[in-house]
Amino acid sequence: MLNLEKTNKSLKKTLIAFIIFLIVVGIWKPLALVYGIQRGGLYSLIGLPLALILGIVGILNLAHGDFLTLGLYIGYIFFNSWSIDPLISMAPLFFILFGLGMVIYSILIKRVLKAEHLNQLLLTFGISMIIIELIKIIWTTRPRSVYTSYASSVTLGNMSIGMYEFIYPAMAIAVLVILQLFLKKTRLGQAASAVGQNPKGAEIVGINTNVVYLVVFSIAFGIIGVAASVMLPRTPVFPLSGNPYTLKSFALVAMAGLGNLNGILIGGITLGVAEAIVQSIPGYEGWSDVVFFGILIAVILLNAYRRPES
Amino acid sequence: MKRVFLVMMSLLLVFSFVLAAEKPIKIGAVNPLGDITGDQAAKAMKLAVKEINDAGGVLGRPIELIVIDDEMNPAKGAAAIERLATVENVDFFVGGMGSGVHLAQIPILKKYEKITVWIGAATHQAEIAMGPDADWYFHLHPWDYQQGEGYGIGWTEIVHAYPEVKIEKVFLAYEEGAFGTDSYTTYVDLYEEAKRGEGSWKEVLKEFKGASFKSAALGGGDYRAMLNQAKAFNPDLFIWAGYDADAIPIVAQAKEVNFQPPLFVGAPPGWPADFGKNPLSENVILYGMWAPTLNEVSPVAKHFYDAYVEMWKEEPATYFAPLGYTNIYFLVEGIKKAGSLDKNAIIEALRTIEYESPLGEVLKIEPSRIIKNQGFKYQKILQWQKGRQEVIWPLELATTQLDYPFKFGK
Repeated sequence: MLNLEKTNKSLKKTLIAFIIFLIVVGIWKPLALVYGIQRGGLYSLIGLPLALILGIVGILNLAHGDFLTLGLYIGYIFFNSWSIDPLISMAPLFFILFGLGMVIYSILIKRVLKAEHLNQLLLTFGISMIIIELIKIIWTTRPRSVYTSYASSVTLGNMSIGMYEFIYPAMAIAVLVILQLFLKKTRLGQAASAVGQNPKGAEIVGINTNVVYLVVFSIAFGIIGVAASVMLPRTPVFPLSGNPYTLKSFALVAMAGLGNLNGILIGGITLGVAEAIVQSIPGYEGWSDVVFFGILIAVILLNAYRRPES
Repeated sequence: MKRVFLVMMSLLLVFSFVLAAEKPIKIGAVNPLGDITGDQAAKAMKLAVKEINDAGGVLGRPIELIVIDDEMNPAKGAAAIERLATVENVDFFVGGMGSGVHLAQIPILKKYEKITVWIGAATHQAEIAMGPDADWYFHLHPWDYQQGEGYGIGWTEIVHAYPEVKIEKVFLAYEEGAFGTDSYTTYVDLYEEAKRGEGSWKEVLKEFKGASFKSAALGGGDYRAMLNQAKAFNPDLFIWAGYDADAIPIVAQAKEVNFQPPLFVGAPPGWPADFGKNPLSENVILYGMWAPTLNEVSPVAKHFYDAYVEMWKEEPATYFAPLGYTNIYFLVEGIKKAGSLDKNAIIEALRTIEYESPLGEVLKIEPSRIIKNQGFKYQKILQWQKGRQEVIWPLELATTQLDYPFKFGK
């Protein structure tokens, strides 16, 4: 009970600090705030499935970004071959990636669940390499893209802001809400939460952990498909399109803490805004990665400092 | 017995002459086959070899082309030269694309000193590494400083030819890596020259500003902060130096932030597969050595294009394709003119021939800053119009008029 109260207080403090941060940035650099929220929303949307797999299945999927690339190529095929808008192909992409997740889990991941972490990492790293090379063989390294007409922007004073990118935080919030509802309100979701917290205990009370892992892994892949669909109108498609997001997603999970899905959203937007601020300062554009990972290190150290206290 | 022996010896002599006459002349090529530039350059080289062999070869001998993939890896590129020299025993080296790979190959090339005709590597660092004494080395691609000088000449001539075009303020957006930073340094030097009233940019570069961005190819892809800086500067000429992955999003985001410079120039090494189909490509200007529209003004370009499409059932999409074709033909013309495989005779011949290339220009060798044998000097200024790359400059090769000013949704 005491712990729960402490957690709620801590969450409130984090939320208040987060809101104050956004207000200050909004007054200081309004454009950076908008860009940061948009970009941070994308980081969160892509980071959520990685957090889900890592938090419940316990696997760090190093091929996370490459499955995102694969999703982008499938979306590109839908658009190029059948003129299906990326936002419409979101539904088939969810199910295609969901199915792919089932296959990958059943054939490969399942076999290494009890293996050393290093072996798990090597396996997913191997999958990543295979995906990249296969994509190069099939589609070459030449970037492709889709053109959609919804590139509207609004002008406020001397600022022009693209509207499409607001879909990223909107989708991240939607996915987060659906995931929370799934984890809290459905039996399978509750079972997944239990497995994430204590897999052995869950097995003892009769939960089929294998089914839980399979479903969670596949749902996470489905979300990668959704992320690929919303990114497609604004992202060039080439073999390494999604690759950098693996590291950024992992950084977000490390910052938010294992199993903290809400933290992924807050962390993503914080890092996105921090990046946007740095990029808006002339002459310091190249420092954005330094700031991104600098903030990450600072948060991890702060968490480590807090934990022994509590 | 003596007669039989003599007949046998005579037969052996004739047979060995025949064998020697038919022994192919070996050309070793190193290209990045996983990339479209290397893939199409190698295909164009094979096309040239086929045409030459179908026409009876050179010096009565067929040409054999051995292609090795450097995988854009400097170590593999260097090992490929070593293998071509020692295992394959090639007579000549050709090929090339990336500067990094070539820098690693130069010490190996210097070790064997075989005649080398290279179509890649634009960095002047490669010229420095090769040095002034390598008379066996022929470099066909323009060096980076030559390109910068060429664009200055091009824009100045365009300003004179089109009175409505005004260029005074130039903004360079460059990717954070070596390629972009090198471009920025080059432009800073050109600006300093122009301020002193010197160099090819002196008439069209009164104010200059640059800003970096992280390329989508390297995990970036958000250019809005940089584009807002450019918008505030209000340039007459906006140039971005990045990769093909940046091409679409940079224009899309420029539209979103309502940044519409009169001249919007992209300078990536290649363009996305479907860039021309994208409505945002309209009136975007690019730098390059070739465009399919040259078929309309150059019979050699048309011959190359048609033959390539017929042989490979695909369109050449990068200037490395006609450059690869030129690579083989230029070398073979030199061998033909020399009349033998004597190294000095071929070097002398290559220095004097004038080869009408499918790039729309006559290729002839002149010294550059350091090396003695430099081929092409400048790139062309092209513009996307209705999905086609049209040549705007050199004016004598122009396939259409410049569409000015750049405007979204034309």
